Amino acid sequence: MKRYYDPFMMISIISCVSVLLFILIPLIQMLLAPSWEMITESIRDPDIQRAIGLSLYTSGMAALIAFIIGTPFAYLLARKTFFGKRVVEGIIDLPIVIPHPVIGIAILGIVGKQHWLGAFLHSMGVRLMGTISGIVIVLTFVGMPFYINTVKNGFEAIPVRLEHVSRSLGASFRSTFFRITLPLAFRSIIVGFIMCFARAISEFGAVVVVAYHPMTAPVLIYERFTAYGLKYSQPIAVLLILVSLMLFVALRLISKKDMNI
Amino acid sequence: MKQLQIIILLVIVMLTGIDMTQSMADLSGKLIIFHAGSLSVPFAAMEKHFESKYPGLDILREAGGSTKMARMISEVGKTADIMASADYKVIDKSLIPSHASWNIRFASNQLVLCYTKNSQYASEINQTNWYQILSKKGVIWGHSDPNLDPCGYRSLMVLQLAEKYYKVQGLYDRLIANRPKRNIRPKSVELISLLQTGNMDYAWEYLSVAIQHKLKYVKLDDHINLGNYQLDSYYSHAKVSVSGKKPKSTFLRVGKSCTYGITLIKNAPHKETAVNFLNYLFDPDGGLAILKNMGQPPFIPCRVPTSTMKDKLPELLKKRVVVKN
Repeated sequence: MKRYYDPFMMISIISCVSVLLFILIPLIQMLLAPSWEMITESIRDPDIQRAIGLSLYTSGMAALIAFIIGTPFAYLLARKTFFGKRVVEGIIDLPIVIPHPVIGIAILGIVGKQHWLGAFLHSMGVRLMGTISGIVIVLTFVGMPFYINTVKNGFEAIPVRLEHVSRSLGASFRSTFFRITLPLAFRSIIVGFIMCFARAISEFGAVVVVAYHPMTAPVLIYERFTAYGLKYSQPIAVLLILVSLMLFVALRLISKKDMNI
Repeated sequence: MKQLQIIILLVIVMLTGIDMTQSMADLSGKLIIFHAGSLSVPFAAMEKHFESKYPGLDILREAGGSTKMARMISEVGKTADIMASADYKVIDKSLIPSHASWNIRFASNQLVLCYTKNSQYASEINQTNWYQILSKKGVIWGHSDPNLDPCGYRSLMVLQLAEKYYKVQGLYDRLIANRPKRNIRPKSVELISLLQTGNMDYAWEYLSVAIQHKLKYVKLDDHINLGNYQLDSYYSHAKVSVSGKKPKSTFLRVGKSCTYGITLIKNAPHKETAVNFLNYLFDPDGGLAILKNMGQPPFIPCRVPTSTMKDKLPELLKKRVVVKN
């Protein structure tokens, strides 16, 4: 029996393999480069522990802020049409296209004493340059579009009919949102949270402009790379990848489990 | 007789003409230069000038902390033709002998304390009271990372020398105690944006950077500004510990005047163009004039420490340097 191979199918398979290799080869090289000794030594290094901890904390905070502020906004974008909606959606996407250092510079520009907002913050004793709050603000800025876009798509996928039924049965707008819409959008909210978290944890360019100290993991990787070379920056990168991977797998599992109930 | 003279003149003109077109034809393609962040402005000017002479040539510059740029070549294996460092010792330490064979000192600099008109105490600060203002609570000042940027450890050296020069016991520790870690940046040039946005009141920079960015600055006494190589023995009292070859290891940097070094990378892909560019850079009417105008006093002529090193230089460059330690 002769099998027939569709040429398009062949091209698809070839492109699939090339893309996977393209992503995996450099990552595998980096994962395998440091010796086991270097990795265990890095796990015990308090500077590295602190940097990874800070990265997780600040990115988590950014994702949490995106969740609190972004969810109602995403709902609005999914359900309502209004004048200038396209412009609003374009503005949401801006942080994705602006070069990262520019974001950092822009934020520094408003938190310095030269700007009224910065002058006000300084008079209140709030410093954003080189502080954890500064890092969280930067990460929220870069992560927000990923959260809002994902959750907006999630809300759009829920039939508006269900909300109408709930409302016609006497449920208030608020109660419909919390008891019908939100549970149905739960999975996309988790995915949005992960996307925002992931985007935030990988951010370097904007963070290093606003805060070099305290060091997040990407900044520490950069510092170790420039001060000591490749060999000493790789183990931190490996640890950061592993920690993030565990976290994201865990979050995916949570969302799966809840969907099955 | 007159005709003969004219013919000879014409022949000479033609020959030099051919010679020029030949050398112009040779200098095309690319030239990759890695240099210290503090050389960005003069090198940009040189790039423009040199490229206008050779339209087929494209100079690609990459700026960063000198230690980092040298590492990019020696450890990451990035390709470059020329490396110019803000501390000539970086070339000795991380590029010679495997990636370079000589090191030419071509310019000097000094440290100044930069500020803007909106900085706290901007109207009061001067050459004698600057360290009192930097010890005041609430004054935000910073310097670059001593482990990544020569300007960083040099800033600390200035503070140590100030303690000695002004005979104020404990001045260095008191100043550092008033400078939280968050005021440290990887590169000194980054501090400028912090000054300009009002996130910082004072920052340690090179004189050239202050002039190029039109900042206000306090010029310090020669004994502490690290700008006069005749005071090298005085500068050597300052000792700053910086990170060594691996995390947690350290070594001592001893104070020395700010001297820029430049070298040709051994496996440079555009060697001939690179040598021609260096020849232009070392020309007192070429690159050195640009450096002079931008606050980076050049060495005219440029210097190498030993005659053995001079022998290793490309022929074209030998006439541009003298042996002087």
